[in-house]
Amino acid sequence: MLKVDNKADLFHYRTLLFILCFLLLALIGRYYYLQVIEYERHFSKSQINRVKAVTTYAPRGLILDRSGEILVDNYPTYILTVKPYKLEDKEVIFKKLAPILDTNLDELNRRYKKYYRGKFLPAIIGKNLSFEQISKIEERRLDFPGFEYERFDERIYPSPFNEAHFLGYLREVDRDTIPSLDKSLLYRAGELIGWQGVEKQYEKQLRFSKGIDYVEVDTYGREIFELEENKIPAFPGENLVLSIDSNLQKFVKGLLAEKKGSVIISDVNSGEILSMVSSPSYDLEVYRGTTSEEDWDKLLSDVDKPLLNRSISGLYPAGSMLKLITTINLLEDNTVALSDSTLCVGAIEYGGNEFRCWNENGHGYVDLNEAIIQSCNIYFYEKVQLLSLESWVETARNFGFNSLTEIDLPNEKIGLIPDREFFTKQYGRWGWSERGVLLNLTLGQGDILVTPIQGLRFINHIASKGETAKLKMNLNKDVSYYAPIEYSDKTWDYIWSSLFDVINATGGTGWRAMSSSKDLQFFGKTGTAENPHGEAHASFIGFFELNDNKYSIVIIVENGGSGGSVAAPLAGDIASYFINNSQEYLADK
Amino acid sequence: MSSNNLILFSPKDLRNRVIVLTGVLLIIGLVALYSISDNPLSIGSSFFRQCIFILLSFFAYIVMRTIPLKTVHDNSTTIFVGIAMLCFIPFFLPQVEYTYRWIDLGFMTIQPSEYLKFALVIVIAKYLSNHQLEVKSKSIVIIPGILTLFCAGIVLNQPDLGTAVIVCAPLIPMLLWAGVNGFIIFLIITPIITILAASNTIFFSVWAVIMFLCFLMFRPNFISGSVLYFANIFTGLLAPFFWNNLAEYQKQRILTFLNPDLDPMGSAYHIIQSVTAIGSGGFFGKGFGHGSQTQLKFLPVQESDFILSVIAEEFGFVGIFLVMIIFFLFIKTLLDIAFKLSDYFSSLVIVGIASILLSHIFINSAMTIGLLPVKGLPLPFISAGGSFLLSCFIMLSLVINLSEN
Repeated sequence: MLKVDNKADLFHYRTLLFILCFLLLALIGRYYYLQVIEYERHFSKSQINRVKAVTTYAPRGLILDRSGEILVDNYPTYILTVKPYKLEDKEVIFKKLAPILDTNLDELNRRYKKYYRGKFLPAIIGKNLSFEQISKIEERRLDFPGFEYERFDERIYPSPFNEAHFLGYLREVDRDTIPSLDKSLLYRAGELIGWQGVEKQYEKQLRFSKGIDYVEVDTYGREIFELEENKIPAFPGENLVLSIDSNLQKFVKGLLAEKKGSVIISDVNSGEILSMVSSPSYDLEVYRGTTSEEDWDKLLSDVDKPLLNRSISGLYPAGSMLKLITTINLLEDNTVALSDSTLCVGAIEYGGNEFRCWNENGHGYVDLNEAIIQSCNIYFYEKVQLLSLESWVETARNFGFNSLTEIDLPNEKIGLIPDREFFTKQYGRWGWSERGVLLNLTLGQGDILVTPIQGLRFINHIASKGETAKLKMNLNKDVSYYAPIEYSDKTWDYIWSSLFDVINATGGTGWRAMSSSKDLQFFGKTGTAENPHGEAHASFIGFFELNDNKYSIVIIVENGGSGGSVAAPLAGDIASYFINNSQEYLADK
Repeated sequence: MSSNNLILFSPKDLRNRVIVLTGVLLIIGLVALYSISDNPLSIGSSFFRQCIFILLSFFAYIVMRTIPLKTVHDNSTTIFVGIAMLCFIPFFLPQVEYTYRWIDLGFMTIQPSEYLKFALVIVIAKYLSNHQLEVKSKSIVIIPGILTLFCAGIVLNQPDLGTAVIVCAPLIPMLLWAGVNGFIIFLIITPIITILAASNTIFFSVWAVIMFLCFLMFRPNFISGSVLYFANIFTGLLAPFFWNNLAEYQKQRILTFLNPDLDPMGSAYHIIQSVTAIGSGGFFGKGFGHGSQTQLKFLPVQESDFILSVIAEEFGFVGIFLVMIIFFLFIKTLLDIAFKLSDYFSSLVIVGIASILLSHIFINSAMTIGLLPVKGLPLPFISAGGSFLLSCFIMLSLVINLSEN
């Protein structure tokens, strides 16, 4: 069909045939050598000796606070494993084993089933073996063929400091989860993996790298000798140094005792979290495997949700802190004259509904500065009408609301700043009005949801006038920045001075945070978020300058009442703590 | 040509022989997979999956059989460019097992370089079969050489050393088949041997002498001869720098091969286990399902890379000898077809495909007995695995299609 005839000649055909014969004969020759000439050697090796690869472990990295205090340490325990193919009469052997391990037959069968990975792979049968138990098994070695014990590190929390929420915990890897894990870390069922908090976030850094020993074993699995030259050593995981100051953390934890809520303190310049408290909390020891089912259920079903890290996953109405968003919009757009006053008589009517100020007697004539200081709702109800929904939402989102702060902790919640699309979807095209929702938004109420850590990011943006370091828990993580927020100096200065007045001027809602020390300049804003489920949530965001450093605080006390009377005093206590320990904070820098 | 009478079978007989031999190889593979599957008849066992893959590949074979030779010939460049471009796609996708080899389609993954092998063969065959080509001219090797290096370059960067070797394999047999001057083929082979020999001073010195004698024998002119000779020597001296550019695991595999005691990643462990399994099979083997090494799962990836070790342990030297004979007959039949065919293009393509299959067979077998480093190349028609099986069936359909003319 095609034009060109085959030009292949016999010589080329024979050359290729020769190469084919040569290659295959070389292979057959080698097979003959292995299978016939060296048969005895390989056969006896296959019968008697087998090279077994034994995984070796090294400790997981420790977790330290910024001053080097150990927060999370390792604690060596021993586990007992069995190779299923050696278990000729499982029930009989388990019956003998049960009393030594202080357990019963059913429990042993349950564990066997849980940790079974295959006939030739060890399954975990017992954990936390005491020295006494090990020696009892060792004495009766012949009764327990195929059983081995190996070292297995668990976590221990040495200081009374036991911060479940950001430290997180380890969990056993089981067969179902393995496919979803990072393959390069070589997880096996029964090993531990960071499951929450920084243990999860920094799993790769904290986890040891496994090693391999090659040992020759006989058909009974007895190790004959170790092949030294082929070893791969195991390496311990790296330590993790947190930016947390454990003394400050303990102090703040004391402040929140018996309360529900969250307090976070950060260093504004570096974004380091110095303290993060979520209350109520729980004891990390519950993950040590000795917790009864009853206690577990109690923890899981507790209405106060102690397992929840409120600091990053707790969603709250934002409250009055968002009046600052309206303020910034008004200032940037030059929409109102600063001296422009509004009369507050305690209530105002829009569309047939009455909207109230928290001060039922009214604030009288207030200008913008006074409205911030006294947190006057009426002023903002009125002035927010001058803004568009889009510009208000854009400003709020610029400050990081409705997005993750990207703090190095898992399970951060994103919150919500509702926009036009949201309202239309939620209430229908005609079920809402722009004017109506702005009334809610400006007070940080309605559909708005924020996390405390977003509040912290917000105040850090203000404290650093737009160039803000990303929040972080890991002290050694490089400082990086959020997208800069650019407003005129006039706007920033105005906000600063108003926030200063909130605490320091007569009639300011935050006066209870006022500090007696002249060294400390405190700026802040209180918030009281209405909450249909009970008493209002008290909140406070603020920052203070001390010894050329800036520290920021966010406080939320659930159902605490008013921000000025509940949250502000806590802020004052924290500021006093910094003053009393200011030497330490000087030395730290 | 009177020599054609040396092969006594008609093309139709030869075609039938290829199909029968393929069937035998598939059955051998299934028997071995049945033996090592814990529960062969369950969905998800490698035996069951292989049966499905065979059915799917056979379907592809039937479809491919409908494509006429002329279409393949006329569109060879398009096919080649298309597949070569597909090979770039994985570089823009996330890595799969630390390489850029695979395209994940969701329901299956495909490895475009698997198909690059024979696309390259087709395009080179088309070039060499051009009747205007001056076969004796030296420049004839330039285009096939550049194309091969280009393809090998893509594959090496994925990185996939094994497939890169396979991609290069058909070049020399095809040039030889086309009647290219022996000296030119010698010049192509020399740098490869030079690089391999460069790792050892004694080997390198001996090779330098042999090369010198060959140059004398072929009598090129003095200047070009000297230049080529010293270029080779320099390549040998520069080889260590090239070595440093290999991926860590490739170095590891080669090093482990050269000295099994250096064993940080456990490749030597594979070889030790494989050699023990093979050796302990003896002359008659341990019997179906009785290979203690393979049944105890001492061998890793035994269903694909080390399937031959399973056969060797359970069926002994007799089994291996049989498999090798079948492979011999298979490749020889391909060469016979290539020799008998009247069409030059078809003949060249079949030689290229025979080279691809033979290099797979040789590298895989040599790996199981510790003659070559662990490469991860499967055995045609026997190893479990969908992508490669499909590629084998496509090559088979090409062979049958081409031989019908």
